Amino acid sequence: MAKHETPLLDELEKGPWPSFVTDIKRQAEKNPDCWDILGQVELSYKEKITHWKHGGIVGVFGYGGGIVGRYSDLPKRFPGVEHFHTVRLAQPASKYYSTKHLRDVCDLWEKYGSGMTNMHGSTGDMVMLGCRTEALEPFFYELTHNLQQDLGGSGSNLRTPANCLGQSRCEWACYDTEECCHHLTMHYQDEIHRPAFPYKFKFKFSGCANDCVAAIARSDVAVIGTWRDNIRIDQAAVKEYIAGNIPSNGGAHAGRDWGKFDIQKEVIALCPTDCMWMEGGELKIDDAECTRCMHCLNVMPRALRPGLDQGASICVGAKAPILDGAQFATLIVPFMKVSADNEFEELIEFIEKIWDWWMEDGKNRERVGETMQRVGLPTFIKVMGLEPIPQHVKEPRSNPYVFWQEEEVEGGWDRDVEEFRARHAA
Amino acid sequence: MALSIDELKAAILKKAETAPKPQLYIKDFYTCDPDSKPRVIKNAANDLVKEGKMMFWSSGSTTMYAMKNRIKDEEGAGGVN
Ligand code: HEM
Ligand code: HEM
Ligand code: SF4
Ligand code: SF4
Repeated sequence: MAKHETPLLDELEKGPWPSFVTDIKRQAEKNPDCWDILGQVELSYKEKITHWKHGGIVGVFGYGGGIVGRYSDLPKRFPGVEHFHTVRLAQPASKYYSTKHLRDVCDLWEKYGSGMTNMHGSTGDMVMLGCRTEALEPFFYELTHNLQQDLGGSGSNLRTPANCLGQSRCEWACYDTEECCHHLTMHYQDEIHRPAFPYKFKFKFSGCANDCVAAIARSDVAVIGTWRDNIRIDQAAVKEYIAGNIPSNGGAHAGRDWGKFDIQKEVIALCPTDCMWMEGGELKIDDAECTRCMHCLNVMPRALRPGLDQGASICVGAKAPILDGAQFATLIVPFMKVSADNEFEELIEFIEKIWDWWMEDGKNRERVGETMQRVGLPTFIKVMGLEPIPQHVKEPRSNPYVFWQEEEVEGGWDRDVEEFRARHAA
Repeated sequence: MALSIDELKAAILKKAETAPKPQLYIKDFYTCDPDSKPRVIKNAANDLVKEGKMMFWSSGSTTMYAMKNRIKDEEGAGGVN
């Protein structure tokens, strides 16, 4: 594989930013196949059309996910990228790796693939970029047998479970995100590796509403930690914050002088539900109004802590733009106990209820959020066997029509027309 | 009455052989037996893959099922390397 002239790509090496062009050139010194990546991309920049092809039979035996097939449509001109499949690797809970493991994975990828990686892809998995079809099985064998590392997800599968650091490092975690994510990942191995659904399905786990894994934006079922009782307030610490003796936000904004801490301006006035106030030198919270948004806790972590009756809110249906525009997940269950003690039974039951419905009613390539939008939230809530509650309502209705269910109407839909006409001549 | 697993597998294979398009979504197999639960049909289809009678075909974002011989024919004609 020879070097190609790449005047357009070379432009992308100018300026102060890191450049993928520089990265690929560096890797090409080691693995000459990579010159053809640059050659093909340069051509695409010139012709303004992609030369990557999608799809086909790629995979490892028994797995329907984890590998995304890519081919060049100019294999004669760019033989180094004739096959250029992407391999996704499962991430461990909270992305805790040993450096040895990362080195081993990279060595293995140098052996079988292009050596190029993407840590991590926005979907969450570790991404290995570019290898030939015949390299897939031996790579997979060594990966699973020597490194005990599984493939990640792709296809119409359960994909890319992910969780925040949770209780391993964070005092705000309202449930054990790592245990929960790991347990469900093991529980649903078949759904992860083999197609099961109309389209992709993801669950992600954050320990609190700060939502460090962006579960609400990236997953079909977002499990977001919260509490049911009251925020724990240490009034003495509140006074220390007001006096400026404890830096706000854990000192995160200490790089610049923002002036004296102002609890009214920085905490109370920013509470989205307006449920905080000062009274007799004490901070008060009307917990019935609090949405557990985490803002006040983030600003004054030593004064305010989550309540002790902890669990999670479950939101359903986030997605990137596919059929319709991007959307966040919708709150379905405001509070659910999420516990390893009963092997996350409630959550599993909830998830499988969604699957049973979506597998029947979802159209091909329709995400759960899109199916929900198509049938409407009232129908989805009924499917889930839930009662509508105020938390499902975003704003007061502007639609004046009321749709009754037959069972809500006395006598149902059947009526005696004769009797009606006797009172009301046509 | 739902079909037995063996009957279900036979119906799935028949569908994969005779459907107009060689690649099928898991959902396309639900019509093989309206009385079987989707997850039962999914398990039967995945069993057939494990047995080597069908294979997965990836569009890049969706995984589908196919009979190997039908894909080979198509890809040969289409010129996929
Ligand atoms: C070519 C003929 C017609 C066209 C194109 C037409 C179009 C429409 C449209 C676009 C609406 C608004 C729908 C909505 O957004 O809610 C509407 C509402 C309505 N039309 Fe027509 N219409 C036609 C004929 C008629 C006739 C002949 C009648 C009565 C004899 C009629 C009675 C109504 C009524 C009562 C509504 C209000 C329905 C509601 O708000 O739920 N329309 N029509
Ligand atoms: C004294 C006679 C009537 C009075 C005072 C009256 C009054 C009204 C009023 C106040 C509305 C609601 C307008 C709004 O705020 O949207 C309305 C709607 C309407 N009226 Fe009448 N009306 C009369 C006769 C009729 C007759 C004779 C007809 C038809 C034969 C009729 C057909 C309708 C229809 C189709 C609507 C729209 C309903 C809807 O969009 O849901 N009205 N009328
Ligand atoms: S989501 Fe909440 S609990 Fe999890 S790491 Fe972030 S702040 Fe901590
Ligand atoms: S958590 Fe959010 S809603 Fe609740 S009191 Fe604090 S700022 Fe207000």
